[in-house]
Amino acid sequence: MTTATPAVRKPVAWRRVALHAGCLAALLVMLYPLAWLVATSLKPADEVIASLQLLPSRLEWSNYSTALDGVNDVSVGRLLTNSLLIAGGAVVGNVLSCSLAAYAFARLRFRFRGPLFAFMIATIMLPHHAVLIPQYIIFNQLGMVNTYWPLILPKFLATEAFFVFLIVQFMRGLPRELEEAARIDGCGPFRSFLLVILPLTRPALITTAIFTFIWTWNDFFTQLIYLFSPEKFTLTLALRAFVDASSQSSFGPMFAMSVIALLPIVLFFLAFQRFLVEGMASSGVKG
Amino acid sequence: MPGMPVVPGSRTTRSWLTAAVLVLCAALTGCSGSAETSGSSGKVVLRYTWWGNPDRAARTEQAIELFEKEHPDIEVQTSFSGYDSYKQKLATQAAGGDAPDVMQLDYRMIEQYASGGVLYDLGRQKSVLRTDEIDAGLLATGAVDGKQYAVPQGRGTEAVVYDAKTWRATGVPLPSGDWTWSEWADTMRTLAQKTGRPAATDPGQSEDAFEVWLRGQGKSLYTEDGKLGFTADDLTRWWTFTDELRREGTVSPAEQTTQLDGTVENTPLGRGKAIADINWDAPASGFVPLVGEGVTLAPMPSGEDGTPGQYFKPSMFMGVSADSGHPEEGALLIDFMLNDPGAAKILGATRSIPVNETLREETAGSLTDFDRTIHDFQTTLEGELNDPPQAPPSGDSALQTTFQRDYDQVSYERMSPREAAENYITEAKAELRS
Amino acid sequence: MTTTQIPTAVRPKGVAPAHKPPRRRREGAAWVFLSPWVLGACVLTLLPMAVSLYLSFTDYDLFNPPSWVGLRNYTQMFTEDPRYWRSVVATLTYVAIAVPLQLGLALVVALALKGMKRGKGFYRSAFYAPSLLGASMSIALVWRAIFNDGGTVDNLFGTGGWVNKPGWALLAVALLTVWQFGAPMVIFLAGLQQIPGELYEAAEVDGAGRWRQFLSITVPMLSPVIFFNLVLQTIQAFQVFTPAFAVSAGKGGPADSTLFYTLYLYDRGFVASHMGYASAMAWVLLIVIGAVTALLFRTSRSWVFYASDTDGGAR
Repeated sequence: MTTATPAVRKPVAWRRVALHAGCLAALLVMLYPLAWLVATSLKPADEVIASLQLLPSRLEWSNYSTALDGVNDVSVGRLLTNSLLIAGGAVVGNVLSCSLAAYAFARLRFRFRGPLFAFMIATIMLPHHAVLIPQYIIFNQLGMVNTYWPLILPKFLATEAFFVFLIVQFMRGLPRELEEAARIDGCGPFRSFLLVILPLTRPALITTAIFTFIWTWNDFFTQLIYLFSPEKFTLTLALRAFVDASSQSSFGPMFAMSVIALLPIVLFFLAFQRFLVEGMASSGVKG
Repeated sequence: MPGMPVVPGSRTTRSWLTAAVLVLCAALTGCSGSAETSGSSGKVVLRYTWWGNPDRAARTEQAIELFEKEHPDIEVQTSFSGYDSYKQKLATQAAGGDAPDVMQLDYRMIEQYASGGVLYDLGRQKSVLRTDEIDAGLLATGAVDGKQYAVPQGRGTEAVVYDAKTWRATGVPLPSGDWTWSEWADTMRTLAQKTGRPAATDPGQSEDAFEVWLRGQGKSLYTEDGKLGFTADDLTRWWTFTDELRREGTVSPAEQTTQLDGTVENTPLGRGKAIADINWDAPASGFVPLVGEGVTLAPMPSGEDGTPGQYFKPSMFMGVSADSGHPEEGALLIDFMLNDPGAAKILGATRSIPVNETLREETAGSLTDFDRTIHDFQTTLEGELNDPPQAPPSGDSALQTTFQRDYDQVSYERMSPREAAENYITEAKAELRS
Repeated sequence: MTTTQIPTAVRPKGVAPAHKPPRRRREGAAWVFLSPWVLGACVLTLLPMAVSLYLSFTDYDLFNPPSWVGLRNYTQMFTEDPRYWRSVVATLTYVAIAVPLQLGLALVVALALKGMKRGKGFYRSAFYAPSLLGASMSIALVWRAIFNDGGTVDNLFGTGGWVNKPGWALLAVALLTVWQFGAPMVIFLAGLQQIPGELYEAAEVDGAGRWRQFLSITVPMLSPVIFFNLVLQTIQAFQVFTPAFAVSAGKGGPADSTLFYTLYLYDRGFVASHMGYASAMAWVLLIVIGAVTALLFRTSRSWVFYASDTDGGAR
């Protein structure tokens, strides 16, 4: 069973052609703004904003060389490493802590489960701008400002309820007999979590990893608030350094930097999205 | 609380929140609270932040290296970001009792940061921070209640920026110096008729332009005690004036005006849709790569009786945190950035024309390109203008946006100038009261 | 095996099967799993939330100590601030447009890709590509160019610009969110993976058509994931900030038409330095979203199907 399409049905050729044609047409529309982004990164300064043509009149490669010079004596390599470090730490933290909490909420019984679950959902409802300053004070008291801890530590403490909820929903979709069988084999909750439930939740875990990586990568505000030294800056922060309304902006290099910053997450996504297919948790749930 | 004595090195007014957090979270505290103040080698460490672009960053770094060479016992850690991000970052840091030792401040921040106890009274460091070469009127803009909380670093002024090349092609004579608002309007009208499209950015959305217009009539945005200095009638007249220009197609339509975001790229002039704009002189350099070498500055229009409305505005200030453990070293750094000839040579006009009058003359010869244009422009205005107003009250940063929003209602023809002006006055009074 | 399915909470005292570990140990295990979350929730979430609740009853300008004003922020918000109500209307309109469009598109694309034998990985990556960008400043500038007078949309449909017209700007911002439908799509796809293929085989044997299979297998089996996406996208839509902030350069224009709730909250808190007022706004939003979410949870009982709850008749 490698695909959910019933094998008995005869494939109808025109149907598949129509499907592909539809998908390709939709893609064309979807990818048009991205093409615009890439094209703009090669436009000369006077066309970046003013021109409403997709293609530049001539290719301005200097946007890229300016962007590759980095910002404030910090090389692009350094910025990239910093971004990778933060995003990597966040992925490990979120996958670990969120799956632990989700397992408890989805599969174990304990007192106050209902109210605690409701509280967890409620924590995503308060706009984060309202808690920015209290959080800053806490990290400042812990001596963690201008380190990567404020960006990574919360992920190890399952503060992103989005992912806890996501994994809970997936775990609740698994039949109970799985653990019953495991218990008969002598597995406690820890072993059945590790050996039975976790492998079956792989699509959700991969999803968590991918989203965490991308969202952390693009998260501008948290990085802005907590990082002080330019040598700790990330690509996302450096991107904004090219635009300053009070002096002269460099939109061309900013677009070039956007394209550069996009490449690692494209690679990350391409590398990991395969696991979504191969996960095929369903094949394991034969009961 | 302006009158409150500020003890250097202590956490003052903002510690209440910290305390609240501590009480609520006793289990986790007792950790190192304050930032490190001495480096690994026993040096004094100063944190210094500013806003700007990569060019300003590079030049500042160079100047700081020179400073560290002259003061081997001080290490300066620098950081910067774009203006909008900088504002939020600094506010968060200051609210958390963690403001950097030395910070760059805007005119609009002074009152709020000073009265909130964030800033150190630099008057206490007169021995290291020399201010006698700075114009007294300009220097006074950094004082609140008689205390020098910040020192201006540069000055800028508003200008009518135009593309002389396109202008000449229309056959309309170029602006020749002084003009009044009605002469400006007539000229723009002629240009618009010749070219068949709006000639300038609609100035109605700009609180800055309104202030120049108001000062041309001998009034001011704010009174000495921080109240509104004008009435709904004044604002109605201004918005009626600009609204008529917009309706007849002399200035940009609402659809273009609303896209202004502070960058020159998104002005009608920057987009190649108009010939003139009203802007500050320093950022106007950004027009050069967009519209070419023809970019020129003309003075702002004056009142009908010739009263000048524009003024030299302190463009950036430097201040020291009240919580800093090293106010003297902080003052030393400010002195260096303002008064050191070596630093002036490196910095050039990156924070606009220097305020130190001797250095201004010395560096004038080495200025190039648009820095030169700005310098010459400011020289023609020297001695012609009235003193700048004192730092605006803290509600002003919110009111600047409110001003734009209310004018949007006029330019999209959802309100009459009178209705919008009365709205603004109500909102402004509420803002300034709180 | 059915007895072991009964939740601990409803099992009569003293009838616990002998082979099961004592209840206290199992409860202990749950708390071990929960411990990182509990620590994070207390220190990094609950504490800041408590502070912001307190601030909502004060006048707090970020620098001076807050002064207690009781309910004044709340009364001012509801009775004296027309711009507040404009932001409420804009946000509700946005939620009503963006959530159904984005979820519908994500589900349709996920279903189209599900049965695909070849090119699935390619399409998934390509459709996800816009979501990789977030709402950065560069994409905002691209959006403004495409939806401007003389931009692509104007040229194609002759509608004029969108981002600069009060009636249209909100739609342009909503389309930016809809365009980035990758996240719900990937979650739908992951959910579709979990549906056992045997169910479809069995249905096939019973002679059920595609539509019938979709209604009686796909929808119920996918319902926990549909529910997740619905709840989360609704919550996120109420809090929409970045796309509007980027596209309107932080102003929420033209003429306040994209001044969404959190954008105005940010404006009050960090631009105008009325953090007390902003906190009050945050708590009103929390209560509203909470009510909407509670409503969604209530309706979910009738349409969301959990495999773990039905086995052995636990409910």
